[in-house]
Amino acid sequence: MLPAVPVVYGASFHPSLPLEGRAWEGVASCTTDRPPPSFPPLKGEGSEGAEPLWPIGKLGPPVTTLPRVITDWFARKGWAPRQHQLDVLESWQAGASALLIAPTGAGKTLAGFLPTLVDLADGKFEGLHTLYISPLKALAVDVQRNLNAPIFEMGLKISAETRTGDTPASKRARQRAKPPHILLTTPEQLALLISHPHAELFFGSLKRIVLDELHALVTSKRGELLSLALARIAKLAPGLQITALSATVARPDLMRDWIAQPVPGRETHLLTSSGGAPPVLEILETQQRLPWAGHSANYAHQDLYEVIKQHKTTLLFVNTRSQAEMLFQGLWAVNDDMLPIALHHGSLSVEQRRKVENAMVSGQLKAVVCTSTLDLGIDWGDVDLVVQVGAPKGSSRMLQRIGRANHRLDEPSKAMLVPSNRFEVLECEAALEAVAENHQDSEDPVNGGYDVLAQHVLGMACAAPFAADDLYDEVRLAWPYRDLPRKQFDRVVELVATGGYALQAYERYARLKLTEKGLWRVANPQVAQQYRLNIGTIIEEPMVRVRLIRTRGLKKGVQSPVGAGGRVLGEMEEYFFGTLLVGDTFIFGGEIVAFEGLKDNEAYVSRAQSANPKIPSYMGGRFPLSTYLADRVRLILDSPDDWGKLPDQVSDWLRLQRDVSVLPKRDSLLVETFPRGTLNYMVCYPFEGRLAHQTLGMLLTRRLERSRARPLGFVASEYTLAIWGLGDLSGLIRTARLSLDELFSEDMLGDDLEDWLDESALMKRTFRNCAIISGLIERRHPGKEKTGRQITMSSDLIYDVLYQHEPDHILIQATRRDAARGLLDIERLGDMLRRIRSHIVHKPLQRVSPLAVPILLDIGREPIFGEGRESAMSDAADELMREALGSDPI
Amino acid sequence: MGQTLYKAEITETPILRFAGNNFEPLPSGGLYWHAQQTLLVADLHFEKMASFARRGQMLPPYDTGLTLARLEADLRRTGAKRMVSLGDSFHRADASSLLTNSDRMRLDTLTDLVECIWLSGNHDPAPHSIGGTCLPDLMLDGLILTHEPKRGATGLMAGHLHPAAHIHIEGRSTRRPCFVHDNRLLILPAYGASTGSINILSPAFVGLFHWPALEVTMLGKDRTYPVSTKRLVRG
Repeated sequence: MLPAVPVVYGASFHPSLPLEGRAWEGVASCTTDRPPPSFPPLKGEGSEGAEPLWPIGKLGPPVTTLPRVITDWFARKGWAPRQHQLDVLESWQAGASALLIAPTGAGKTLAGFLPTLVDLADGKFEGLHTLYISPLKALAVDVQRNLNAPIFEMGLKISAETRTGDTPASKRARQRAKPPHILLTTPEQLALLISHPHAELFFGSLKRIVLDELHALVTSKRGELLSLALARIAKLAPGLQITALSATVARPDLMRDWIAQPVPGRETHLLTSSGGAPPVLEILETQQRLPWAGHSANYAHQDLYEVIKQHKTTLLFVNTRSQAEMLFQGLWAVNDDMLPIALHHGSLSVEQRRKVENAMVSGQLKAVVCTSTLDLGIDWGDVDLVVQVGAPKGSSRMLQRIGRANHRLDEPSKAMLVPSNRFEVLECEAALEAVAENHQDSEDPVNGGYDVLAQHVLGMACAAPFAADDLYDEVRLAWPYRDLPRKQFDRVVELVATGGYALQAYERYARLKLTEKGLWRVANPQVAQQYRLNIGTIIEEPMVRVRLIRTRGLKKGVQSPVGAGGRVLGEMEEYFFGTLLVGDTFIFGGEIVAFEGLKDNEAYVSRAQSANPKIPSYMGGRFPLSTYLADRVRLILDSPDDWGKLPDQVSDWLRLQRDVSVLPKRDSLLVETFPRGTLNYMVCYPFEGRLAHQTLGMLLTRRLERSRARPLGFVASEYTLAIWGLGDLSGLIRTARLSLDELFSEDMLGDDLEDWLDESALMKRTFRNCAIISGLIERRHPGKEKTGRQITMSSDLIYDVLYQHEPDHILIQATRRDAARGLLDIERLGDMLRRIRSHIVHKPLQRVSPLAVPILLDIGREPIFGEGRESAMSDAADELMREALGSDPI
Repeated sequence: MGQTLYKAEITETPILRFAGNNFEPLPSGGLYWHAQQTLLVADLHFEKMASFARRGQMLPPYDTGLTLARLEADLRRTGAKRMVSLGDSFHRADASSLLTNSDRMRLDTLTDLVECIWLSGNHDPAPHSIGGTCLPDLMLDGLILTHEPKRGATGLMAGHLHPAAHIHIEGRSTRRPCFVHDNRLLILPAYGASTGSINILSPAFVGLFHWPALEVTMLGKDRTYPVSTKRLVRG
């Protein structure tokens, strides 16, 4: 039968759906005809023998803590507040800040706002009372809607408004002049608000800050920016109490410190909601052959389709946008029943995503294939199954995704893992155990970067001239900057003022100037204007809009397509189009399209048919395997007695490895060497994630070159690193001309790393972000938009010039810090090298081992790193020579 | 794959033959003309980063110094008696007045040492006060040296476009500035430390070259590489 045509769901749905029917998170919808099972019904209503709503005189808070208007409202609804909601209220009434750790669906939002409703119930308060900060604009908007419903029903005179990038200028101005009681916004908008000269007036009345989904912020630069804003607001609003809401994390104590830091002396309570039912998690069982390598999970499409059919609504998470496209295609290829299956990822247009979300909420979709875009955010209604396709990467990440299913605390969430290759079977097994133990491996809050600090310093100068001493004391009230040395702070101020160069060439152009009173002030109003346009820490890849035009059929030689002005499908990284020729087909938004041309900031595409379209590979979106799961995977490999729980094809594979080579031990590093064709391979199994393996590969090839092993290239996966070259690696090791202990010695993170950093493209990418965030280069200039490409090129050059001349510059320091944790993952590599020191097991082999098969298959699928850029040119030069001599086979 | 890689390590001095003359392409982007004892460079863009500072973007003030260091090294190595800069020597018309004292002194030493000819470019159309001679363009031994390339010319050497080549071979790819010519028109890569580059396959180069005769020499770390044009890719 013909394959069904994939459609991106949305177009056929109403763009706006009634929201009154939506649940206020944790409080069941007022239009349902049955009370939600998670709330004990009032005595006399509902089932007999239920617990009383207010155990007066027993445990729990006295009724008097809630104003009558609120208790009446609860009573009318037939609801009762949950214990942790009352705990937050109690903390507030005790004058404390509070961190509430609660899983999704626990009614965190009500918990966050209950103290505000209580405090404002008498209608006497004037000015801004509560600030709500969400990582997502959409979440702020949604929370506002869900907050306004009870405010209205209680008849309270409380104003709650959002302030986002979409808020019209007139409304912003009005909000500044007459703030609402509750303002719901994002960290970036908050940074803008505090940089305003009237910030003191605006925040003077503030009593509470509610930080939502804080776990999603504290590990990123957005969290650093937020922490600095909190430090400023704590100064402007001395009575401030902070309430933070977070999913379960590995170190709640650190997160509590994070919110306690800005308000020294205020008690900060750590509150935990009683855990819901443990999730039910399983790995997809399949009769199909499990692939050795790759990430498409093609084998599972039919099985998954059956699973989707058996559930009401299924959320299918994948790790990258290209995986999302592939899975979506695959499901539609078997979608004989034309089930409404939709796609949701970050490249699709906002309208498209909103339509999918709305369709989801109103129960019109059977399944949604999505990336981390749906990790956070509003409640998706009746999702009864979460599927993770591909590696789960981490236990906390998995638990949070599972939490997207079934937002009722006392019913278990149901989830399924679908490994896309054999190594991922091991990772899924590890995740299964970790989730069963409820083990958290989330990242800890990060220390602050100098780039974010520079942005904040400029913002504070825009608000009012500052004394360096005062601002230094203030920024250390931001947890990520609590240990900031004064010297570094001063260098950051210099960076903002004149670029912070040892050669002081720019005094006359300074952006900040020191007044006679010793205050730093902005040099002119344009500086403040530039600051406002460059706010924020999210750096987008240069993107182009993808616009669908009607047909192919351009006349030859016509550069710009006719029929421009079609529908915008979404956005895609500009560099992808650099690799396309007109007429090339690729998959975007679930459709096969042909590239028609690039004009200004738009790529024109048309619908096309192709058996072999390209699937764009996107940068980013690949989280590394967590250290914890990696260790568990090593443990599984090292425990043959437990292999019974693995699928036969996987345990057979491991047994075969044990027979022909050895298995990697938990605390050592297995290095295999073997010849294959004309080349020699070295394959090692560190299980430290692709990024750390890439860095290791770069450094090892440099060292192997010096050892005359003549390496040619390498490829890195999450689990394995393979290097190949011309030299006889087994022989070199056997004759002690190559020592593996020396090769893998930690000192590679010294000079070899330095040599490489100076030309590393990953370092340059990291530098670009730091340079934009710090304001050294602009993302936008009033009236003159630079194209992304120009910024990229020039930031590479700036890096080259700066690194050569002043490798200790504060921005190079910032770049190193980020690279060490980010794209180069040097921190993790260093940990690994220390762990395996003198624990290297070498196994010379005659041929490829079973465990090495997946990584060799990755050659050609994954980017391969040549041993240096020069070699590509010298090969092309040799080729030219052969052409000239007439010996080149065509 | 890549069996021939290590043969290429034998460093040789590639010769670039253009319009009947022999040149030595330098990895810095300079082109040395032995017969004339002349070093040709294009698009130095002195003070480019400093020119951003006045708009509030404090880019590192080191690019002029780096470019000068390259020039000094090339002049020393080749023993050139003359240097011709093919326009856009300064990023802005008034940039020569913005040089730091040390950069200015180095530049003065350089112009005392060798004969310097500064051709005008679109960034620096007017003559400036640096030592040497300022000219719109120059005829040297039958070749025309100028800033902007023109179609249909013969024996024209120019800069302006900042050419780069991107090659892809056996899983590896490299994008570097390059010399490009078809034996009638030659375009030098941009020499300045602050200059970007444009792929020779991009629209800016359309119609300039007779494609079958195209020769491309890429800049490596310590040598230059004449490369096979069938390996060129976009981007």
